[in-house]
Amino acid sequence: MSAQDTKSLWADAFSRLVRDRWALISLVIVMVYAGVAVLATIGWGLPDWRTSQAAEYLAPNGQFWLGTDLFGRDVLAKVIHGTKIAMSVGLVTSLIAIPIGVFIGAIAGYFGGWIDDIISWFITTFSSIPNIMLLISITLIMGKGLLSVYLALGITGWVGLARLIRGEVMKHKEREYVHAASAIGGGHFRKLFIHILPNVMHLVIINTSLQFQTAIKSEVILSYLGLGVQGEPSWGTMIDDARQELARGVWWQLAGATFAMFLVVLAFNILGDALRDSLDPKLKGK
Amino acid sequence: MTTYIIRRLLYMIPVIFGVSFIIFVLFNVVAGDPAPLLLGKHATAQQIHDLREQLGLNKPLFAQYMDVVKSAFTFDFGRSWATRQDIIEMIRQGAWPSLTLTIPAFAISTILSILLSLVVAFYRGKGIDLTIRFLCIAGQSISSVAYILFFQYFFAYKLGWFEISGYEPEFPIFLSYVALPGIIWIVLSLGPDVRFFRTVILDEIYQDYVRTARAKGLGEITVLLKHVLRNAMIPIITYVVIQIPFLILGALLLESFFSIPGLGGITLNALNSSDFPVIKAMAVLSSIAYIMFSLLTDVLYTLADPRVKLK
Amino acid sequence: MSTRLFGLVFAFMIAAVGCSREQNFDEKVLNLITPQKIKGFDPIYAADLYASNEIGKVYEGLLEFHYLKRPYELTPNLAESMPEVSADGLTYTFKVKKGVMFQDSKAFPGGKGRELKADDFIYSIRRMADPKLQSTGWWLLDGKIAGLNQWREKNASAEKVNYEEEVEGLKKVDDYTFQFKLAKPFPQFLYALAMPFTFAVAKEVVEFHGQEFQNYPVGTGPFKLEKFDNSNRIVYHRNPSFREKLYPSEGEATDEAAGLLADAGKKLPLVDKVIVNIVVESQPQWLNFQKGSADLLAVPKDNFDQAIVGGKNLHPDMAKKGIRLSMVNALDTTYVAFNHTDPLFKDNIKLRQAMSLAYDHVESNKLFYNNTATIAQSIIPPGISGHKKEYKNPYIGRNLEMAKKLLKEAGYPEGKGLPELNYETVGSTVSRQQGEFFAKNMADIGIKIRISTNTWPELVKKTNTKTAQMFGIAWGADYPDAENFFGLLFGPNESPGSNSSNYKNPTFDKIFAQASIMQDGPERTALYEQLYEMAGNEVPWIYGMHRTSVSVYQGWVKNYKYIEFNHTQVQYLNADLEAKKELLKKF
Repeated sequence: MSAQDTKSLWADAFSRLVRDRWALISLVIVMVYAGVAVLATIGWGLPDWRTSQAAEYLAPNGQFWLGTDLFGRDVLAKVIHGTKIAMSVGLVTSLIAIPIGVFIGAIAGYFGGWIDDIISWFITTFSSIPNIMLLISITLIMGKGLLSVYLALGITGWVGLARLIRGEVMKHKEREYVHAASAIGGGHFRKLFIHILPNVMHLVIINTSLQFQTAIKSEVILSYLGLGVQGEPSWGTMIDDARQELARGVWWQLAGATFAMFLVVLAFNILGDALRDSLDPKLKGK
Repeated sequence: MTTYIIRRLLYMIPVIFGVSFIIFVLFNVVAGDPAPLLLGKHATAQQIHDLREQLGLNKPLFAQYMDVVKSAFTFDFGRSWATRQDIIEMIRQGAWPSLTLTIPAFAISTILSILLSLVVAFYRGKGIDLTIRFLCIAGQSISSVAYILFFQYFFAYKLGWFEISGYEPEFPIFLSYVALPGIIWIVLSLGPDVRFFRTVILDEIYQDYVRTARAKGLGEITVLLKHVLRNAMIPIITYVVIQIPFLILGALLLESFFSIPGLGGITLNALNSSDFPVIKAMAVLSSIAYIMFSLLTDVLYTLADPRVKLK
Repeated sequence: MSTRLFGLVFAFMIAAVGCSREQNFDEKVLNLITPQKIKGFDPIYAADLYASNEIGKVYEGLLEFHYLKRPYELTPNLAESMPEVSADGLTYTFKVKKGVMFQDSKAFPGGKGRELKADDFIYSIRRMADPKLQSTGWWLLDGKIAGLNQWREKNASAEKVNYEEEVEGLKKVDDYTFQFKLAKPFPQFLYALAMPFTFAVAKEVVEFHGQEFQNYPVGTGPFKLEKFDNSNRIVYHRNPSFREKLYPSEGEATDEAAGLLADAGKKLPLVDKVIVNIVVESQPQWLNFQKGSADLLAVPKDNFDQAIVGGKNLHPDMAKKGIRLSMVNALDTTYVAFNHTDPLFKDNIKLRQAMSLAYDHVESNKLFYNNTATIAQSIIPPGISGHKKEYKNPYIGRNLEMAKKLLKEAGYPEGKGLPELNYETVGSTVSRQQGEFFAKNMADIGIKIRISTNTWPELVKKTNTKTAQMFGIAWGADYPDAENFFGLLFGPNESPGSNSSNYKNPTFDKIFAQASIMQDGPERTALYEQLYEMAGNEVPWIYGMHRTSVSVYQGWVKNYKYIEFNHTQVQYLNADLEAKKELLKKF
């Protein structure tokens, strides 16, 4: 292992420990958020955000740790309930974008020829239109609400992954193990989905963690454009509210939502890095 | 190579057909009707009908689509429905402010993140690596809206270091207006950039040729700069160049909060007022730029790595 | 290599940051902010408030609203005097001031502006009717001037619109005199002549610039355009050839004490230069004003609570800097409209009344307007004749018991059997919050509301196609006459016309048709008041507020007085440079 010659074994062990520890903490954070999201969905055990409990715009205090909003509602409770939208937006858009990306990319890369030509044309067309136009138009078609936020972010999210998978599958299909599979009479479907795909799975996992946090951040942009979620607290609408609030000194809604989002996006980022390091076959054993 | 370039340029044709089609379906068929919007709150049914006629909205859909395709190929986008301004002129005026914001910010953030990723690759696994990566990732994890609101309030208003908003096209005055939004841009890009470049560089570091170079007794820094960076150039170029077309479109939120009169604002206005000719023009231009720059990436490959042949 | 480049660029940035613009004390400059991109300077498209503010700096009309007098009163501007009106109320004879010059432009022979004549008005009014141009002000004249509609229709399919052909209702008497002949009585006609739509343009300039005309305004007004960048900044300077127009020497009783008559008799305009910056977002608007780099800010109606404490006083931090506050009732009404093509609302007046009673106006006033608004009892705001002060709407003022009772009588006890209702609004932060508030109120009597936010085009599309079930919206006066408001409930104006709630009530329509063609007088006021009460009791909408317009201005700005139709305002404003030097030290 000449790669380790340049650094001491101790340092390497230490850095791996630190890295893993951070990954572990991140994983715990993500789990906690997911748990809160589940609780918010079944409506159990979380503080109430709907009722006006006090005067409007109370600064953070002993009773309301993050103050109150325009309607005198508890900002902390809104932040907590906002987890539900954030996590579900991340999850559902990933569930839409990842399968589309993998399927389309894999088909194009594997079959090549005219199928690849058509799919490549489709990918190029799609990726050359600015995302913002697609986002807005999809919400125009679908009408407002959570569903169109999911779809808009999902439908714009698959392109990068499709391109990536296409390239990888192209490489893999010339590898020996695939040829071996053909030799023993494996069909296309078998070769592609049983043999090749597991070998590019690490890309999918890394991409999911990216997709997740991109979706959470995009929800803020959609809210800014007036296309966000209604009737439920979301970090996006809270940050959007802050546009009017900051100039009058009301910072707690912005701070609360930003911090909640910061923590989970950060956790996803670190987790994504750690996953990459441990899953990427090229880095294995290093 | 020439035939390759020509073929790729011809490829623009089907893509523009596709882009026109998507944009046409999304905005012409589904979106709001521009006629009552343009005529204001007292419009009569007759007036709406007449204006739709004038705008060509009463033609059969296929004929309307062919109009879109035609204008995409002739670059004759006509006038904006909402502002009645000449669209090419609007784009010409908006391009400069957008580019003076995005290009310096993009250049600085790219150079800075390549440097940083060399540093973190050099110190991989050590404290410096972890700290820099953590800061970059942390910077990227905050919503851009939050940055804008806070930076504008704090650095421009409270501390008075920057202009709050506005724009002057003359050099170097514009720097004082684009500096703060530029910094926000950089803070937001460092995270993804550094992470990507670091990955690419690390991929190379574990290759055999690097071991050989080290075995020859070359210093780590020489190896990094001479061998690793050079070989990592292809993915870096792809990653960098493919972002360029979208620089032209400007930065939507930054432009709007800092009152920079660029293309981002033009696009946003057009989307908000169903100004179809402008939306179409922006989409067509961006797709042409996209294809041109992906072609440029391919050409740069051959320069960065002579082994790559274009067919 | 690259490090050095980076260092250089960064050093440049820091250096540039240091040298921001210095304040200029040699000439009187006004720095203004407008929150929207300006579409252009063509008067016939002056439908939006912000464009008409810019148009009003360069162009002028026959009449204007007196800057100081209230209630609003028309005075002659380019007209020599108020017109002579024939006994049947159909013929208006105008004399145009002599010696009024258009601004210099290369469109005129020799580049020198020529004198304004009666022909220019006839031409300008015809442009509004030009079928190829689709003016956004056509509704003002539609069917009102004899022969104009026929001319419009005849030219609709023509290759080129024929401006030579005489129109019966627009007759030139001599170079300085012309007559309007109306097709039917239209008492609001004079207001139209104070609106930017009818301001005078010169035919030579229109033809010289063609489609670019909107970017090269040449009027007779107090300011001349120097630079027009429609998404960044507009710069004007004093028009050197502006006629002898003087600051008024009389106004309301309180104006003298407020220092509004200090410049009485001085030649207008009072400042040398006007810079209008386009700033869309409210945070930078606000911060720029607080920094002293904007002189005047019409605090956006939807979020002005930042400026005021306790509902009427300026925030002390701002008062310390010499900033002043102006709060005046605006001529507008906010409302939540029911779509009356929906059978749910059409015949079920009890449901509408129940919902109106469930709405908490007092709380809404507090949350969204810092208690500055007036709760609307019916459609017309105070300050317009027809507003009946003593009328108290029985269905306004929260009363949940009564609301529940009415809801039960409407056939939906505790909301049972009533589907979820769709509330449409635009996507701005405050509109969304108002929607949330509405939903919260309705939930208290068991009515479920789903809020949908829309871009403006979408909402317009939904109301025009009558598919919006309920929507939150506001109406601001085009001119100070109740007809402008009642028209919103007039059956024949249904979508896509201005009656976007598609309300139809034969009795209402009959009285409206009768009143709308009457001259101002006690008889008409009686009919207006009848309509006012009817519009209240029938609850065609859930009325919201008559808002207060809140503006803040710097201590060095003189002569500021709120005017609803403010496109002529800037020429009356003055800047005190000495005061500015002093006050800026406190910023």
